[in-house]
Amino acid sequence: MNLTPPSASAAPAMVMTPEGPWGRVRPARRNADRLMKIIATAFTLVAITVLFWILGMLVVKGIGGLSAGTFTQITPGPGTEGGGLAGTYLAEYGRGSKLANLIRFINDILLSAPSILIGLFVYVILVEPFRGYSGWAGGVALGIIAIPVIVRTTEDMLRLVPAPLREAGSALGAPPSVVITAITWRAAKSGMVTGILLALARIAGETAPLLFTALNNNFWFSPTLVGGVSNLPVTIYQFASAPYENWQQLAWAGSLIITVSILLLSLIARRIVRGGK
Amino acid sequence: MLSTLELSPQVLDAQAPIRIAVKNLDFYYGEHKALKNVNLSFRDRHVTALIGPSGCGKSTLLRIFNRIYSLYPEQRATGEVLLDGRNVISNDVDVNELRSRIGMVFQKPTPFPMSIYDNVAFGIRLYEKPPKSELDDRVEGALRRSALWDEVKDKLKSSGMGLSGGQQQRLCIARTIAQKPEVILFDEPTSALDPISTGKIEDLLEQLKTDFTIVIVTHNMQQAARVSQYTAFMYLGEVVEFDATNTIFMNPNKKQTQDYVTGRFG
Repeated sequence: MNLTPPSASAAPAMVMTPEGPWGRVRPARRNADRLMKIIATAFTLVAITVLFWILGMLVVKGIGGLSAGTFTQITPGPGTEGGGLAGTYLAEYGRGSKLANLIRFINDILLSAPSILIGLFVYVILVEPFRGYSGWAGGVALGIIAIPVIVRTTEDMLRLVPAPLREAGSALGAPPSVVITAITWRAAKSGMVTGILLALARIAGETAPLLFTALNNNFWFSPTLVGGVSNLPVTIYQFASAPYENWQQLAWAGSLIITVSILLLSLIARRIVRGGK
Repeated sequence: MLSTLELSPQVLDAQAPIRIAVKNLDFYYGEHKALKNVNLSFRDRHVTALIGPSGCGKSTLLRIFNRIYSLYPEQRATGEVLLDGRNVISNDVDVNELRSRIGMVFQKPTPFPMSIYDNVAFGIRLYEKPPKSELDDRVEGALRRSALWDEVKDKLKSSGMGLSGGQQQRLCIARTIAQKPEVILFDEPTSALDPISTGKIEDLLEQLKTDFTIVIVTHNMQQAARVSQYTAFMYLGEVVEFDATNTIFMNPNKKQTQDYVTGRFG
């Protein structure tokens, strides 16, 4: 069989010419396409400009006060694990069950609950009974805010793992716990880490719940975390609203520290995830 | 049409014992009855092909043998599937132990997100704790049998996800045979692969049947004719005809089978 077209070597006998410069696309549609492209580009530019504006302002104003920066963040470790496990339950064991649907619904409510409410809640259960603000109460409040974010992203990421991958694990005789820990978690790893980072980024800037729980302290914290504990968001709030120039300068420095630490955290986490592949 | 089918010389061992016997099997997806009174038998160390149009229940049948359907609570089977005389669909069967005896290869390659070595060792490590040297030997042996060793021997530590589609599928076969199962189920193993990779997998099937009982679901009738000794033709959840592959393709008993294998319907 001769597979080469007969005129392959010779000059083509006839070349198709489109009707009009743009073929069959109507001018109105072409203009609509252009308009949408311009709008999309404009809004992208606006978003990026604002982002760099904020970052630039932080760097310019914050760098001067950096020398005095002191801060404490209580990383809600239990929140991360609890959230990850709850998300795993929703995506793996509780698929379609009524309990899972209920948990997901409550989680979604919690996800959008105003953070000051959570601060109040922790105030009632941890600050009042123990007669005093504490870092522990602050950590619990931030943990409660972080959990729903982590639950949601973990579940979403695990759902993206294709079913045949799980089936392949089960088909080798692996019990569900092994399939989840050795296969699905690994496949969804980068997404789950992103979820934890999102949650950390969200709570890093929370002020309202800390006002009711950790309060603040102008000095370095005590190791037991009892009594007011210094933290950046409340410090920024207090210092920025103070009339003194040097206090405001410190508030800028605090803002810069939060932003840079979140950035570093993201970079490190991404590096770890990629290194593990 | 029939003359274009390339039938391999069929060596049927009528004395070969029955590995899997299916008796009066019904299967339900929720309310929908997907298999109706299926009766089939699968001979030891032979390749049996399941053919039929989409939705006829051939993959459903395959997924009963290793109880993979049990992962989904709304699916259920009634009847008997006897593996060496034991009914695998009864509730007292340890499904994980069953699945370590019946391997499965899927339509799309499913390498795990870990190194090539760990992929193959995964199934072994589940139920055995062999010393490192023995584990190495078994991984190498499985990769050699699946004709992948020469291509991956220098990069056993790199990710299994980085291989080509055909290589990934052979990796999945290596992972399955490393566990030393008795039966291997293939669910359209080549439908996502190019012709060269398909050819390699078909050659593998020929080799593997010396040690394993093989059941393969395929849409490709030439493939069924090339690799199998027995063929079951299914339609709308029922087995229309089950016989030696040569008979099904050259001299079928039922008009429906004749129409399907000659491409007149389906």
